[in-house]
Formats: sequence, structure tokens, C-alpha cells
Amino acid sequence: MTDPVSGLIYILIFPGFLFLFLYALFLAFLDRKIAARMQQRVGPPFFQPFADFIKMLGKEVIDPAGVDRVIFDAAPLVALAAVMTAYLYIPIVGNSPLAFQGDLVVVLYLMSLPTIVLFLLGWLSRNIFSAIGGIRSVTQLFIYEVPFFLALLTPALMAGTWSISEIVIWQQKNMWFVFLQPIGFIIALIGLQAKLERTPFDIPEAETEIVAGPWTELTGRRLAIMDLTVDVSFVVGSALVAAVFLGGPLMPWAVTPGWLAVVVGFFLFLAKTLAVLLILSSIKVATGRIRIDQLNDIGWKYIAGASIVQVGIVLVMNYLWVYA
Amino acid sequence: MTGPLTLDMIAGKMKEFGNSELVRKNRIRITTTPDKVHDTIRAVQAMLGCDRLITISAVDNSRTLELIYHLTGPHRMIISIAIELERDQPAIPTSSDILPPAAIYERQIHDLFGIVFTGNPNLNRIMLNEDWPADEYPLRKDWKPGPDTFYGGIKVERT
Amino acid sequence: MPEVVVSIGPHHPALKEPVNFKVVVDGEKIVRLELDLSYNHRGVEKAAEQRDFIRVLPLMERVCGICSHSHSTAFAKGIEELMQLEIPPRAQYIRTIIAELERMHSHLLWLGVAAHVIGFNTLFMWTWRDREAVQDTVEEMSGNRVHYGMNEVGGVRRDLTPAQVTAALERLPNLEERIKKYVDMVSSEETMLIRFRGVGKLSKEEALKYGTVGPTARASGVDYDTRKDDPYLAYADVPWNVVTDTNGDVYGRTRVRIGELWESLKIVRYCLENLPEGSIRVTAPRNAPTGEILSRYEAPRGELAHFIRTNGTDKVERVDIRTPTLANWTSVAICLVNQNLADLPVIVAAIDPCLSCTSRITLLDKQAKKTGVMSLDELIWRNRSRDQEQVRP
Repeated sequence: MTDPVSGLIYILIFPGFLFLFLYALFLAFLDRKIAARMQQRVGPPFFQPFADFIKMLGKEVIDPAGVDRVIFDAAPLVALAAVMTAYLYIPIVGNSPLAFQGDLVVVLYLMSLPTIVLFLLGWLSRNIFSAIGGIRSVTQLFIYEVPFFLALLTPALMAGTWSISEIVIWQQKNMWFVFLQPIGFIIALIGLQAKLERTPFDIPEAETEIVAGPWTELTGRRLAIMDLTVDVSFVVGSALVAAVFLGGPLMPWAVTPGWLAVVVGFFLFLAKTLAVLLILSSIKVATGRIRIDQLNDIGWKYIAGASIVQVGIVLVMNYLWVYA
Repeated sequence: MTGPLTLDMIAGKMKEFGNSELVRKNRIRITTTPDKVHDTIRAVQAMLGCDRLITISAVDNSRTLELIYHLTGPHRMIISIAIELERDQPAIPTSSDILPPAAIYERQIHDLFGIVFTGNPNLNRIMLNEDWPADEYPLRKDWKPGPDTFYGGIKVERT
Repeated sequence: MPEVVVSIGPHHPALKEPVNFKVVVDGEKIVRLELDLSYNHRGVEKAAEQRDFIRVLPLMERVCGICSHSHSTAFAKGIEELMQLEIPPRAQYIRTIIAELERMHSHLLWLGVAAHVIGFNTLFMWTWRDREAVQDTVEEMSGNRVHYGMNEVGGVRRDLTPAQVTAALERLPNLEERIKKYVDMVSSEETMLIRFRGVGKLSKEEALKYGTVGPTARASGVDYDTRKDDPYLAYADVPWNVVTDTNGDVYGRTRVRIGELWESLKIVRYCLENLPEGSIRVTAPRNAPTGEILSRYEAPRGELAHFIRTNGTDKVERVDIRTPTLANWTSVAICLVNQNLADLPVIVAAIDPCLSCTSRITLLDKQAKKTGVMSLDELIWRNRSRDQEQVRP
């Protein structure tokens, strides 16, 4: 952290919260547009998510009878704050100025908070549909979280550091982890799709075609904030995968003028997160929803198994080549 | 039995139950009485190889209530078994024990015509709404909606 | 565990019309199913007794939106046979073309709805977009997308111009390609397979015993198809096959419907190319002679039976309509028993009900003596959670 002013600009404006807000809405638009074009529909115009956000902020907030209003107002804000904080530790245009050893773990933890918040909201809604939806959400969390964490921690094992920024630097010197650990990359993408509760893993939310699970009793500005949380998680998740597996904002050679490095880094960041978006949108469009018991089967048998295999491979590779 | 059935073959077999006539090139109508219906159906299933009930039709011809059971089978002929019932307190034993699809048709006919099928496990309302007044059978010819009877639904205040 | 009566009431978002059926569940397994169909009862049969043959045909059409042509054709051909009228061949062919186009649009619609029920919205969007080609054709020919109004007693009301025939023929090759693609998709798309395979299985004996009709029965190997058993319109002239399958589950029903799409396309093409010349109607007498007739028709959902009794006047004495969905509900009740309540929307959608039920489930808690209302999906959740507790090690 150099000086407070540039630090504040980094956090609040670019590449901080203002940029995050705009980029999250832009990625939401791109996701809907890609899905629509694949389904041979027209899709929304580019300002649609922004318009939805503004509109929902102005809508009436309905409090169900007997519900604790303070928690209902605060919980979405907590979720949003968590993912926005997680964003700060990810290298966007170069190393994150807030990086420290262990920030990978912090980011992963903060990204799980929205799901816990959804469970809390579902439980507190005094509404059996939301309660079940919340339970589904947490069940899904149990199933995909272990493989997801393992897939994101194996690069840390190989790079020998717990800081995302240093993992990125390691990849600049050696090779992108997507080539060294392809299984981990695939598991990370599947885990990300499940974390964002998108098809084929949208069991908690879309399974009930009328009621929206834990989202049922969210109205007005609470719904706007939760929606924004999901959009921001998308950015954070794809930025994380891009940083850990695709080399982040750095090229395999150093770019000398400082400002040019920032510009190039920024464009690389955009390109890589857009690549992840493309993959996730394609998965969303090409599949149907599976049942929770089928997810249980697939998750524990194949995905968790594959992640453990990946850990084993990394340990062997470490012993033989990396630290020989 | 999958070969084509002829009128004589059927008439001979069904003689104890009633008259048979060929009403159309692939439909034969057997007229019988309510007490013999059950046995007729059983005979048609066993001897003529009919394995499918198409429908049970009910007609009010202003004098009596008629019931016609239409069955068919791999031979692709339709056998219609026709009976007539009295208008007040019409009752007949159910055929759903030997023909399971009959249950739902009998329920429908009971709802709309008032014919009681004794032995049918479930004769609840199926076509008319639950708060339809009892003993009003709309498909009978002598039924007219009463001006002051409430036929169920939501009451609308007329101002 | 005590039995819970779950009333899947008149509102369900996945289906099109209201029906109420009470599902009795024991834990997550369904024990039996009871039916209440009152919500769409409009007294059509009684109203038909007060209308003469010209005015009753539009009424017959409006019994159902998707199989509207089926009802009006079944009625018209029944009356024509009672009057002993010979319909000109051109009218027969036109009726067949419209009938098969209706079947195609209905099956494409069903495919989309089945995909939507399992969350596979891409297939839903694609099939409904291809359905627009069929709807455009029908709109050109009859002026409307449903409720075509083509029939009258004695023939058809509108003729097909050569331009319409050419336009229709031009749309067919594209549809053929798309149908081939759907065949591929259904047999190889993993998420569809795991949701459809083994769900709602009905054996051949059960299908026969419970009087199932239509694609639901043909998927269990029962090869009754009214178009072959009792040929009417132009079906005897056109070369086509009955599509059956041996699977008996929802996957089998999907395959049968796609196969029927294929056959319908062939029939439409044949009829359009070989449309005979001539007049399109004969003048029908005003009164029908006394008599009765059972007019059967293969609607997209199965066999439709109109039993018509006339008494020498210009109105029918009785028209008794037996719709295919009524015949198939018993089979739903049977194949749902011992299935997971979670698969209920898939199984109900698989018989292609022409009665839509929105789901609202009333829980009757016998001990606590209170009632709560839950939607079908929430109930599915709750039951899946119970089912999951038993699955988790």
C-alpha cells in the first residue's frame, strides 16, 4: 500500500468497487445475451441488468408477518460486503496491494458467505418453501465445496505460497496451471457453476417453478442487493479462476513501462474472465437441471474423487520435479 | 382371437345375453338387460378376446336412461353392449372389478346422470364442482337450472 | 408414518388447465391418487344438444385449444356417416393435412414443455421456435393458429390455393432437419436421459388393463392407433407407420412422440403433393336421420371417442365425448404409485394432459388438525429432502 489516496482510489474506483459494480452488471448482460443467442432468441439490451437494479431499488419492500426486519435488511448487505471484500484480494491489473499470505483462504471463505446468508434468509422467512430452499442451498454447498476448495488449493501447493498474487507471479515464471493441472481446472469450473447456483445446479432456486426457494420473501431493495451479490460473485469467481489457473493479469514476459503493464494487465484480466464466462454460459445453456439426490451421487463419487486424485498427482509432481 | 369376427359367430355366442346386430361394418351392438351386463362383459372379454374398453356412453332418451359399453380388441371390431335403465333410482352393479378403466367413466356418468354403480369404490364428484347441490343431474333431459338454487362457486353481489 | 393426503389443486404452473388430484403419500412414496376434474367443466355436452349442426361445430372445436380440429372432425365425420354423405376426396385430404399439422404442433409443444419441466430451457426454446413454422403454415391456410374452423358437415369451409401448398412444402425440409436433431438430442443428452429413463414405467399388461390410449400406450408396446384400426379421412391412402416403443417410461413416450412427428411430416408431404382436384364440400341435409354412431379419432393425445345419438331433428340428442386424457389419468394414478413424489411433474407431463393443473398442495395434518398450503414444487423439495436423508450415508 503506497499512500492512502491511491489506495482509496484503488479500492473505491478502479479497479475497485465502482469498476466492480459496472463489470458485474456487464457480465450479467453478456451471460444473458449469450444464453439468448444460443437459444435463438434476441436477448436483452446491454443496459438491462443496470435497469433491473435501479428498478428494483425503487420497489416496495414487503415484510412477511413475524419476520425479523433488521436481519432481513442486513443479511443481503452482509453478503454483498463479503464478496466485494473478496474482490480486493484478487490481482486485477497487477498484484493486489492488499495481498498477504493466506489471502486465498480468505477469498474462498468470503465467497461461501452468500450461500450461508441465503440459508439464513430461507430459515428466517417463516415459510416452509424458503426453509426447504435454504436447506437445499446448504446441502449443495456441502457437496461441491470440498472438491472446489481442493481444486483451488492444489495450485497453492505447487506454487508453495498461500497468496493469490504470488501464485500469479509463479505462473508468469513457469507455466499456467491450466496446463499443469487440467483436472483441477475442470473441477474449479464445475464448483463455480454450483456456487453460483446455475443450471445444472440450480436446484435450490428454480426447482420450484413458482416459489423461488430462499429468494421468495426478498423484495425491493433486498432483492436488488442479493441479485447484485450473485453478479459480483460471478466476477469474483471468474477472476479467481482466471488468476489461479490462467495466469491472471500477467504475461509470460515482463512489460517494462509501469503504466503499460497496468493497461496490458487489465486487458488480459478482461479476456480471461470473459473466457471463463463463455464456458460457464455454455454449460448453463446446454444442460437441464438434475435432482439433488443425483447431485449427491455425482458429487461424492466423481467430482470429489477426481479432486483427491488431483491432489495426489500434485504431491507426486512436487516431489519429483518442482522441489527435487 | 385375432381373426376377423363375423356377425354370425358373435350372435351365436352371445345369444343367451341378447340380440346382436351389425350397425356398421366394424361395430356390433348387443342389446341386453342390466342384470346380465356383468356376465356379458366377462363373456366378451373371454370368448371374443376384447381387451380394451373404449368408453361407457350414457344417453337420456326421455323415456329411459341408456348405457352403452364399447369394447374392442386386437381384432379391431367394436362390441357395443347396450342396456336401458329406469329413470328413477337407476342402479347397476359396477364393472370396474373386471374392467378397471370403467371406474372413471362410471364416476363421470354418476355425476352427470345420477346412475348409481353399486360396488364402485369411489363415486365422488369428478365433473361438477364440490358444492354443486345433490340430486341435480344436469345432463338429464328433464333438468332445468332452478332460478334460486346456488350451483356453487363464488357469489357475486349484484348492485 | 401416517398417510398424508396431498391435494394437488387447480393451480400448477407447469401444466395448462386446472385439475385437482389428491395424492396420498406415505413418506415420499405415493400410495394412490384420486381425481377431481371439475374446473374446466363448461357443460359443452349439454350445450351441444341445443345447437344445430352449423352452430355446434365451433362449439365442438372449443372443447380444447390444442386438439380443436380433432373434436370438430370427429363430430363432423360422425354426423356425415349418420347422414350417409360421401365427402369429396379433396376435402378428406385437406382435413388430413390440417389434422397432421395439428399433431405436429402439439407434439413439438409437448417436447418443449417436457424439457421445461426438467429445467432444460434450451430445448424448450428451440422446439417452440420450430413450432412457429407449423403455426405459420396453419395460419396461412386457415387464418388462425388454433381453432382453425375448417370443418363443416359435408366437407371443409376453405380451400387450399396452390401458393399455400407450395409455401407449406417449402417449410417442411427445415423441419425435417430439426426433428432429426431432436431425435439425436433425446437419445444422447445426459441430463434428459437421467431424468426420463425409468421414470413412470408402465408395462404392456398394465397399459392394456387400465385402458391407456395414445402415445402413452404405444410407448408400452400396445399398438392401437385409430388411424390404422378404423381408417378415416385419407389415412388409408397414405403410406405411413404406427410408431411404438418398448420402454414404457417417460423416455419411451418421448421417442414415440418424436417418431410420430416424423410420420406426420411424411403424411403432410404426401397429402400436399397428391392433393386431388374437385369440390371441397357437398350440401348436407338439415336434419340427421335417427341413429347412433361411435366416431373415433386419433387426437394428438390418444383416441378420442364421440358417441352421437340423433333423433331426426337438426340437433343431436346426445353427444358423449370421451377425451384421451380422461382415459390416461388412471394410468398416471397407477404408474405414480411407489414412485418418488419428486418425479410427479415429469410423469404427469408425460401423458400430455389436455387439462392443466397448477400445483397447489393442501396438506391435511390429521393430528394437528390444521391445513397448510404448499406448492407442488415445495412439496417436491420437502419430499426430496426426506428422500435425501435416507440416501445420505
